[in-house]
Amino acid sequence: MLKVEDLYKSYGNVNALNGVTFSLGKGETKVIVGPSGAGKSTLLKCINLLIKPDRGRIFLEGEEITNPSTNENKVRQKIGFVFQEFNLFNHLTVLGNVMIGLTKVKRIPKEEALEKAREVLNMVHIREDLWNRYPSQISGGEKQRVAIARALAMEPVLMLYDEPTSALDPQLADEVLQVIKELSRMGMTSLIVTHEMNFALEVADEILFMSDGRIVHTGSPTELLSSPKHDLAVRFLRLGGINGFLD
Amino acid sequence: MTSYSFFFSYIPFIVEGALWTICLVGGGLGLGFLIGVPAALSQVYGGRKLKCMVEFYLRFFREVPLLVQLFLFYWGLFPSIGLKLDPLRTSILVLGLRSGAYQSQIFRSAIESIEKGQLLAAMSIGMSRSQALLYVILPQAFRISIPGWANEYAVILKDSAICFSLGVMEILTRTRYVTIATGMALLPYLFAGILFILLTNFGTGILNMIYKKFRIPGLIGV
Repeated sequence: MLKVEDLYKSYGNVNALNGVTFSLGKGETKVIVGPSGAGKSTLLKCINLLIKPDRGRIFLEGEEITNPSTNENKVRQKIGFVFQEFNLFNHLTVLGNVMIGLTKVKRIPKEEALEKAREVLNMVHIREDLWNRYPSQISGGEKQRVAIARALAMEPVLMLYDEPTSALDPQLADEVLQVIKELSRMGMTSLIVTHEMNFALEVADEILFMSDGRIVHTGSPTELLSSPKHDLAVRFLRLGGINGFLD
Repeated sequence: MTSYSFFFSYIPFIVEGALWTICLVGGGLGLGFLIGVPAALSQVYGGRKLKCMVEFYLRFFREVPLLVQLFLFYWGLFPSIGLKLDPLRTSILVLGLRSGAYQSQIFRSAIESIEKGQLLAAMSIGMSRSQALLYVILPQAFRISIPGWANEYAVILKDSAICFSLGVMEILTRTRYVTIATGMALLPYLFAGILFILLTNFGTGILNMIYKKFRIPGLIGV
């Protein structure tokens, strides 16, 4: 489904990505963990072509999307992106936010778009009485679930989540994590950047640890819990309050 | 006939000038909008050359007095290129160019007040940059701009009086004719002042209603 080969990106003298290579199979969920400035968000934005990598190649469904002749807008329609700060369109209601991509990008009739919007909003558990509210009139957790619905409406083959719960309090974060977990279990291919170690261990097929623009360690949750082999993995497991493996 | 009633007989003549004033303001604001939006977009998203050109335009129309601009275009620039425009058209054009410079700053600050994430989010669902501007950035920027735009309406309304210098038959020109005809100054100018106050309040009142209707919950104007 997704293959990233030797990806490099720098901002001036700072190397945000330093030769990142990994792959993600159809229906798989991988979680990226790492300290701030490790290059996690840059990696996601490169995959969605919101940032152009300096070097390296990215393949989506077998096609190289880093090729200069790629239609970036078409690629982005296939990749759902959920931002840390929600980024809902302020001038549109919940329904408007979900429908705009369908009516303006996919150019499907309004009735059909409305039907699809209803479907995805129900999927992320947004109550019907919220559908005509504006982003400022709903909670953070609801905002993020609407943002997920907006991405899902485009019927993506891959979902990218960039720290989707870091701007939320634990209760609201849990609502969002439950939705992501459900989608993942339904077979949605997902790449998630998060600091929620418990969530990562629960949902991920594999966890990738990033530091200084590199993937320094990978492991399945079972491997990590039984014998974490890398310092970074131990640190994050401890930060997540997961100490059982040390006993 | 008393001097007062003599003046009152001229009231319809002055009021008719309000139509010319509205024409100047409407034309100037409309043209200013058509110039201001692309100028603002160029300033925020344009390349260096485009930004320099817009900067030159802004400087000229914001730093040269309106009276100088009117005379320059009517007596200087247009005749020199063989263009013969009447005072009304020249005034609308100059007011529009001037207002475009000011409106561009209203729109620019509105565009810049919108979080960068909005553009990224629009592009992340497959919108091209121009689609993102059209469907996400500008609809928000216009709503945010309404209070600033209402202020620009009040400014251009008052600026329109300077067009009397070209003989446009707007409120002030007609008031001046009445003062000459009646030999009175106080009442005609007082009446003209009241007319401007009414027009200002009428226009800003309508714009405030539009703002309340289209205002984005949670966002304030610039």
